[in-house]
Amino acid sequence: MRPPAPHRTPLLALHEVSKYFGAVEALVGVDLEVHSHEVVALVGDNGAGKSTLAQIVAGVLSPDAGQIEIAGKPVTISSPSAANELGVASVFQDLAVCENLDVTANVFLGREQRNRFGLMHDGAMEVETRRLLERLTVRIPSVRTTLRQLSAGQRQAVAIARTLIGDPRIVVLDEPTAALSVAQTGEVLTHIQRLRDLGLGVILISHNLNDVRAVADRIEVLRHGRNNGSFRATASHESILAAITGAA
Amino acid sequence: MNAIASLRDTLTRNMRQSGILVAFVAIVALFAALHPAFLSPTNLTNIVLQYSYILILAIGMVMIIVAGQIDLSVGSVVALTGAVSAVVVVRNGMPWWAGVLAALLVGLMVGIWQGFWVAYVGIPGFIVTLAGMLLFRGLTFLVLDNASLSPFGGTYYDIANGFLNGLLGGYGYDVFTLVIFGIAVVGFAVSQWRTRQGKIAYQQSVESMPLFVLKLVLVAAVVMWFGYQLASSRGLPVVLIILSVLIIAYTLVTQKSVFGRHVYAVGGNRHAAELSGVAVKKINFWIFVNMGVLASVAGIVYSSRMNGAQPGAGNMFELDAIAACFIGGASTTGGVGRVGGAMIGGLIMAVMSNGMQLMGVPQSMQQVVKGLVLLLAVAFDIWNKKRAAAAR
Repeated sequence: MRPPAPHRTPLLALHEVSKYFGAVEALVGVDLEVHSHEVVALVGDNGAGKSTLAQIVAGVLSPDAGQIEIAGKPVTISSPSAANELGVASVFQDLAVCENLDVTANVFLGREQRNRFGLMHDGAMEVETRRLLERLTVRIPSVRTTLRQLSAGQRQAVAIARTLIGDPRIVVLDEPTAALSVAQTGEVLTHIQRLRDLGLGVILISHNLNDVRAVADRIEVLRHGRNNGSFRATASHESILAAITGAA
Repeated sequence: MNAIASLRDTLTRNMRQSGILVAFVAIVALFAALHPAFLSPTNLTNIVLQYSYILILAIGMVMIIVAGQIDLSVGSVVALTGAVSAVVVVRNGMPWWAGVLAALLVGLMVGIWQGFWVAYVGIPGFIVTLAGMLLFRGLTFLVLDNASLSPFGGTYYDIANGFLNGLLGGYGYDVFTLVIFGIAVVGFAVSQWRTRQGKIAYQQSVESMPLFVLKLVLVAAVVMWFGYQLASSRGLPVVLIILSVLIIAYTLVTQKSVFGRHVYAVGGNRHAAELSGVAVKKINFWIFVNMGVLASVAGIVYSSRMNGAQPGAGNMFELDAIAACFIGGASTTGGVGRVGGAMIGGLIMAVMSNGMQLMGVPQSMQQVVKGLVLLLAVAFDIWNKKRAAAAR
């Protein structure tokens, strides 16, 4: 575990970000910083604003107030593709893959490479897909397997692999281990560690404290849309839980 | 791996695709055994001419079904485009190509109209095209003043009834037709060989060499035999050329172009596609524009074949085209289906109709049989999917 040095410019910084849905305060003045080589876990009870925050970073939602900085520069993230251009890639819960397409097609979806005839460059995309899967140490029988034939864990691995296209700096993972078996969860957590080793900043959203404590460098707690404590991964289960439930 | 194990492997891996091919061969064999004239040159030519417009419609339909939509209006669009063409050519005495252009333009506008409502207003394709079915049928009656218009005659008539014959001389059979079929076979062999080499280069499993050669020889034999039958009848139908060009072009579009990939993505998981940066609305818009244009091509071919336009033309064509797609392996939930599959599905329908007509099976019975075939094909698909899910 390497805690971030306080003087470094963070890869991603959110200052006083707020988001309202009508009268509902989804986020109120939330701050968040993510550095490279760092996994920041975002935890909180249902409705604490974790997914809203992730969607703001991913460009799905735009904040009503506050500022977002990437590598020290203020930015507006207006759409998922704008987020991609800024180096932010995301994996959304349940929505991440097309089960009817093969692994390569999913990894390159929306960013297909073309040959000189304007048609898809299947060969090059397959080679690149293999390389990405190897970097993440993902084991999949063939990159031409359709996702329907893969296990839930393997599909999540493909979803994580596809974030690496276009060399992002920040990866947002929304509940990547929900609905996975214990063994599959272990594999996905390994992939997350690989992302950190590759030098990326990772935002991991989860409500499973065991998973979070296993891979995160820092744990940020949200409660009722507000920051409610920041913990090292070594912090006790009870203290984090207290911050989540507001029992402290 | 020996040849038989390899064959079994290939068959089980592509059960849906090969199953449909086996069914097609079986149906052809059945009718050939039941009726001596079924495989005669004249009848084979007839099958091509009679069902070409359904196959053209099925090409566009399979893309719509893959994207998770449906188009119920194509029969009416066939009628409307044929009617407009007839007004231009028959009533106003303009040249054949003016009629063709007018029909294509109307098809394009129909496609833009329906694409707009589906993609940008967000009305399901089922509803938009149900409305279109009524709308364009009504417009057909208006355009034709409730009466038939005929005859086209001349070059326009030759689009669906003409043959390329005698360009290289004949010796009881048309050499030109055989040359074209020969080129097609060589082209097929080369593309198969390249696919195989590509798979080997990426360490994919391929069928063994003898099996691969056997497959090529078999396909070549069937195609050349079919070509010879056409050559010894009336030559190469113009429609067959149109159809072949469309099939090759759309196979490329669906399997090799980014647009095609995105059509599959939208049908597989709309939200994932959207979040991945696929322009879902644009895709939905263009598949309907494309369908409109293809329906106008079918309208031209049909009006040419009928040598005139009737207000009731193309009735129920949409159902034949949709059935062809589902028999050919398209999934009812979207995301799955191929142009090649839809073509075989359409040919199964064509061969069954033609065969039963030859045997003198009454129209009522033909409908019953075709309905059951559609049901069984989709049931087989669902059973196959369950089996695959259980094996996971």
